[in-house]
Amino acid sequence: MVADVAVAAITDVTLMKASQLGMRAIGAGLAVGLTGIASGIAEMAIGSAAVGATAENKDVFGLVLLLTVIPETIVIFGLVVALLLIF
Amino acid sequence: MLTPEKMSRLLIVASKDQLSPVVAELYRHNLFHIEDYVETGAEGYEGFKIGTPLSGASEASGDLVKVRSIENAFSIQSDDFEVKTRRNQSELQVTIERELPAIEREVDDLTGKRAKLDAKGKEYEQKIADITPFIGIPGDLDLYRGYQRFVVFAGYVVHEVSIPVPNEMYFAKGKAGNFIVVVAQTEHRQDVERVLQEAGFRAVTIPEEAGVPKERVDFYSGQITLIKKEIDEINQKLDAIKTKHADFLVACEEVLKVKVEQTEAPLRFATTNETFVAEGWVPSASVATIRETLEKATGGKIFVTELPVDLEHDSVPVEYNYPSFAKPAQMLMDVYSRPKYTELDPTLMVSIVFPIFFGLILGDVGYGLILLAMCLGLRKFMKGEEGTLLLKVLRNASISSIFFGLLYSEFLGFALPWSPFMFSRHLKIGAETGGHGPQIPELMILAIWIGLLHITLGRVMGMANHARQDHGAHRTKAILANAGWICVMWGILFVIWSMVPMPYMPDFTTLPTLVLTFNIASVIGAVMLVAGVLFIARDSALEIVELPTIISHVLSYTRIVAVGLSSVAIAMVINFIAIGMLIEPQLESITIVGVLFIVMGVVVFLIGHALNLALGILGGGLHSIRLHYVEFFTKFYKGGGKKYSPFGLNRRFTED
Repeated sequence: MVADVAVAAITDVTLMKASQLGMRAIGAGLAVGLTGIASGIAEMAIGSAAVGATAENKDVFGLVLLLTVIPETIVIFGLVVALLLIF
Repeated sequence: MLTPEKMSRLLIVASKDQLSPVVAELYRHNLFHIEDYVETGAEGYEGFKIGTPLSGASEASGDLVKVRSIENAFSIQSDDFEVKTRRNQSELQVTIERELPAIEREVDDLTGKRAKLDAKGKEYEQKIADITPFIGIPGDLDLYRGYQRFVVFAGYVVHEVSIPVPNEMYFAKGKAGNFIVVVAQTEHRQDVERVLQEAGFRAVTIPEEAGVPKERVDFYSGQITLIKKEIDEINQKLDAIKTKHADFLVACEEVLKVKVEQTEAPLRFATTNETFVAEGWVPSASVATIRETLEKATGGKIFVTELPVDLEHDSVPVEYNYPSFAKPAQMLMDVYSRPKYTELDPTLMVSIVFPIFFGLILGDVGYGLILLAMCLGLRKFMKGEEGTLLLKVLRNASISSIFFGLLYSEFLGFALPWSPFMFSRHLKIGAETGGHGPQIPELMILAIWIGLLHITLGRVMGMANHARQDHGAHRTKAILANAGWICVMWGILFVIWSMVPMPYMPDFTTLPTLVLTFNIASVIGAVMLVAGVLFIARDSALEIVELPTIISHVLSYTRIVAVGLSSVAIAMVINFIAIGMLIEPQLESITIVGVLFIVMGVVVFLIGHALNLALGILGGGLHSIRLHYVEFFTKFYKGGGKKYSPFGLNRRFTED
C-alpha cells in the first residue's frame, strides 16, 4: 500500500518535471515566434519605404539598410528570452 | 588621433595679374579648401564681385564635354582604369588639339551609323510582325488593296463567323488568335462590320507589300541578319578604337578637368577691378608651406594672412586624422555622418571594435577564410575608393572572424580538434549530442560586459564632447548629466549584484548588511542611482523618460550572442541534414539511388553554407555597425561636419 503511494508520487514528480520542460519549450517557441512576427510587421513598412528611397537616391542605401534592421532588436530579445528559458 | 585634423583659415589677397600663378600653385599643392565667395554684402566685402573665369575656360570645358561623351560611348570610367604610363601634360595638350577632333569624328560617324542601322532593324522587325498573320492565308499581299467596289477586312476574331451577305472569307487558327480575312462588296460593308463586331473583331493594318507573305518575311529576316552583321562590324571597329585610345582619353579627361577647374577658380573668389581675395582652409601644419610657395610664385606681390577661427560660427571643413590602419572605418563613418570639427572623432574606435564584434558574431574559421578569399579576389573588380574601403573593412572583419573561430573552435559548424578556448557555442544538434553544449549564460554575461564598457566609453566621450563644445553653466550641467547616466547604469548594476550572485560578475551578496536588509553595495548603488537621476534631470527633465533605454541598450548587446548562435545553429543543421541524414547512411552500401542521395547531400551542403555565409556577413556586419550607430554614437556623437575637399586633384594619368 505504502509502496503503491510512493510509486504514484514518483510518477507524479517525473510527469510534472516533463510537463514543466514541455511548457518551457512552448514558452521559448512563443517568445521567438511572436517576436519574429512583430519584427516582420515592423520591418515591412520600413523595408518598403527603404526600397522607395533607394530607387530615388542610391546613396542612401547604407543608411536605409541600417534603418531596416533596427526592429530586429525585438526578435533578438525574444531569442535571448528563449535561450535563457531552455538553457 | 581622436580629433579631426587642425585647420587654419587663410586669407589671400593679390592683384589680378597674379591670379593664374596663384591658382596654379594652390592647385598643385592640393591643400587649400576654398570658401566660396557669395555676394551678400558681408561686412568688409562691400563692393566686391564674383570673379570671371580665366582665358581658355570655355574651350577647355567644351573639349571636356566632348571627351566625356566619347568615354560614355565606350563606357570607359576613369575610376576603374588602371594607370599604365603617366603622360606629360604639355605634350598632351598639343596632341589634344590635333587628335581629339579626329577621334570624335570617327566615333560620331560610327555611332551614327550604328543608330541608323538599329532603327532600320527595328523597322524590318515591325514589318515582319505585320506580315506574319497573313502567312496562313493563300494569296499575294497586293491582292488585299486597290479595289473600288470591294472592301477588305483583316483581323482577329474570338470565334468563327458566318456572314449573311455574299463574300469571300479566309479563316486561319493561330497562336495569336483566329485570323480572318473577309472581302465583300462595298454596299454590304455595314452588315459585315456588324457580324464581325459581334465576334469581337480586332482589325490589323494591311501591310503595304507585294508578293507572297512567306517570301516577304524571309526577305526581311535576311535583311535583319545582314544589319546585325554590320552592327557587329561597327562594334568591333569601336572596340578597336577603344583599346587604342582609352588611356589617351582618360588622360585627356584629367588634363581638361585640371584646366577647367583652374580657369574657373576665380568664380569662387571675391574680386574688385584690380585685386582678388581668396578665403579658405588649410591644415595648420601646411600654412607655412603654402605661404612660402605663394610668395615665391608671385615674387612677393601677395598678402597671405591667417584669420582667427570662430568655432561657434565658422563651418570648418573636417579631414580625418588617424593612424593609417583605421582608414577603412572611414567608410563606416561616412555612411553615418562625418564628425563636426569640434567633436571627438570615433573612427579609431570603430576601426578596432567593429571587427571584434563581427568576429564574436561570425566566429568561424571556415566562413572567415571564404570571406577573406572573396575580399582578396574582388579587389581586382572593385576599383572605386568606396569599394576598396568596403573590401578592407570586410577583410579586417574576416581576419577577426578566423581568430574568434579558432577560439570558439568552429569550422563551418563542425568542431575543430580542440575544445573552445572561449565559451563554447556548440549546440546539441543531430549526432553531436555529447560534449559540453553551449555556454549560453556565460556568453550572455560576456556580451553584457561588452555592452556596459562600450556604453560607458560612449558616455565618457560625451562628457569630453560637451567639455569641448559648450560654455558656461550649460557646459557643467551637460557634463554632469553624462556622468549621471553612467552613475545610474552602474548604480543599477550594484543593486543587482548585491541581490543576485551571477557568474563572471562581482558578487556583493555576502557583504555585511548595513540598513534593514540592504548591504553596503546596494546602498552605494541606490545613492548612485538617485544622484544620477538628479544630474540628468538638472540638465533636461524630459530625459528622465529615456531612463529605460539604459537597460534596453545594454541588453541589446546580447545580439552578439543571439545572432552568432543562430548562425552556428543553421550551420550545424545544414551539416546534419547533408551529412548525417543524406550522405552517411548511403556510404555503408553504395547503390545507384544512394549515389543520388550523396549528390543531393553535397548540393544541400554547398547551397546551405553559401546561404548561411551570406546571412552571416549581412547579420554580422549590420548588427555590429548598428551597435555602433544606435547604442554607441547616440551617447556622444552628432556628426554633420563638412568634408574637407581641397582645391586640386591627385593626378593619376598625367604629370606636369
